[in-house]
Order: sequence, then C-alpha cells, then structure tokens
Amino acid sequence: MAMAPGLMLTEDEALELLSFLVTAARTQLDESPEYGPLRLLTAAGRLASFMVERASPATRALLAGPLGRMPDAALRSVDPARYVNELDEVCRALARHLVGHFGLDRTPP
Amino acid sequence: MVRALAERPVERAALESVLKAARWAPNAGNRRLHRFVAVQHGPTLAVLRMVSPGMFQRPTAVVLVCIDQRRVSAFGMRATAKSLLIDVGTAAQTMLLAAQSLGLGAGVVTSFSQAAVREVLNLPEHLSPELFICLGYPAPAQPPAMRPRSPVTWQDLTDWERFPSTGNRQPL
Repeated sequence: MAMAPGLMLTEDEALELLSFLVTAARTQLDESPEYGPLRLLTAAGRLASFMVERASPATRALLAGPLGRMPDAALRSVDPARYVNELDEVCRALARHLVGHFGLDRTPP
Repeated sequence: MVRALAERPVERAALESVLKAARWAPNAGNRRLHRFVAVQHGPTLAVLRMVSPGMFQRPTAVVLVCIDQRRVSAFGMRATAKSLLIDVGTAAQTMLLAAQSLGLGAGVVTSFSQAAVREVLNLPEHLSPELFICLGYPAPAQPPAMRPRSPVTWQDLTDWERFPSTGNRQPL
C-alpha cells in the first residue's frame, strides 16, 4: 500500500501492534515471567515486518540483519548467559544504528 | 522524585552545581571510583530515552553515573564489590537533593540497556554505566506517585538491637 513518505505503519498495522501490546500486558499477569521478553521481542518482530519495505536502506539492513537474528525464546532456559549476550548484541546493533540515523556521530553537542 | 518534566532546559550553571554536589558525596575510603557523564544535547537525550525503557520522563539534562573499573582494578578490588553500588547510590542521592535545592525536578532511572547506552555515548570500555539522574524543571501536572499498598511508618521498617533467639534464622 502506498503511504506518505516517512510513514511506517498503516492504521490497521498500528492497531494490530497496539492490541498485541495491551493484551500481552494483561496475559503476562497470568503467565510465567520468562514470557515477558518473548512477548516484547514478538512485538518488535511484528513492527519490523511492517517497517521493512518502507524503511530507509540503512534501517532495512538493521531490520533484516541484527534485528532479524533475535535470540530464540527457548535459549533463555537452555543457555541463559548466551541469551543475555545475544540480546545485548542486538541492543548494541540497534544503538549503533540510532547513533548513525540521528547523526549523533556527526553533530557536535 | 519528579516524573514529569517541562521542556524548559536546565541551565549549564545549575547542572554544574549538581555535579559539584556529587563530587562531595560520601564514598568508601574516599577512593572516588565513579565518573559522571553529563548530557544536555537534545538529540542525544532523545536516543538515550529510546534505549531506556524506565525513562518515562523527558529530561532536558541527564547525569550518567558510571563505575570506573580501571580504578577499581588499580585498588585491587573486585568488580562486584558491594561498596561500588552503594557509592553509586550516595552519589545519586546527593545529586537528587542538590537538584531539589535548585528548584529542579529529578528522578533516577536504572532500567536501561547498558549495552546500548555504551554505544550511544561511545563510553570507554573501563566505564560501566549504572544509573541515570534525569533532570529538568517539574511539569505542572505530575503522575500519581507509586505508593505502598498500605501506609508505611519508620517503625514498620525498623527493628531494634539483636533479634530474639526464637528460631527465626530459617533459610530463605
């Protein structure tokens, strides 16, 4: 669907994500705590899938690359240390992209 | 703690006063194993907030309290020594009080991605980011404070002298 430049989500996609997050907050109250990261990463994955075709090349590379390699939920119980390390690596990749995207490495404070 | 901040920027002089207060915070052995990173640059603040889920407020300045692991090692201390985090707390408390005395709003944020903050601020490897002090001028309307389920007095929190020998030393 053609969208105005700079827009990443259609209203339907935004509603889908909004609904997922709000209902996940509720379901989390009744579920195991380890589902928390799983739900958040699921939401991130859905957002990434909505964005990928409309994003800039650099953001698209982030979504297809590091954000496409988020650790499997099962890893958390199998190898907790590796799960933490892989999540930290995704956070680092995301932060590096933000620094470039918002020009923090080019604009003197 | 102030959780809603106005858009008015914090003056450099006020921020420097807060940092001067932090310099005088109590710390174990006067070893000064902490470093502070002050940020007022708007775009940097915006990105820091993106990687800090606990940063509900929109500060116009932050101070990041870091542990200088190089100095920790030079003193022969373990990286996990309890006093290191206690000193982060005393520095934070001192800055909160200084901020309030200047009419600033301030709040503590510990829920952030350390890995991401390292990248955003290009921190040297030996500095570990531990806590943000978020600063600004208080917004007119504040969200409700997080309160305990029932009122708590200092007497509720305090026991006096040695606990009686009633077999209460059960493992957790």
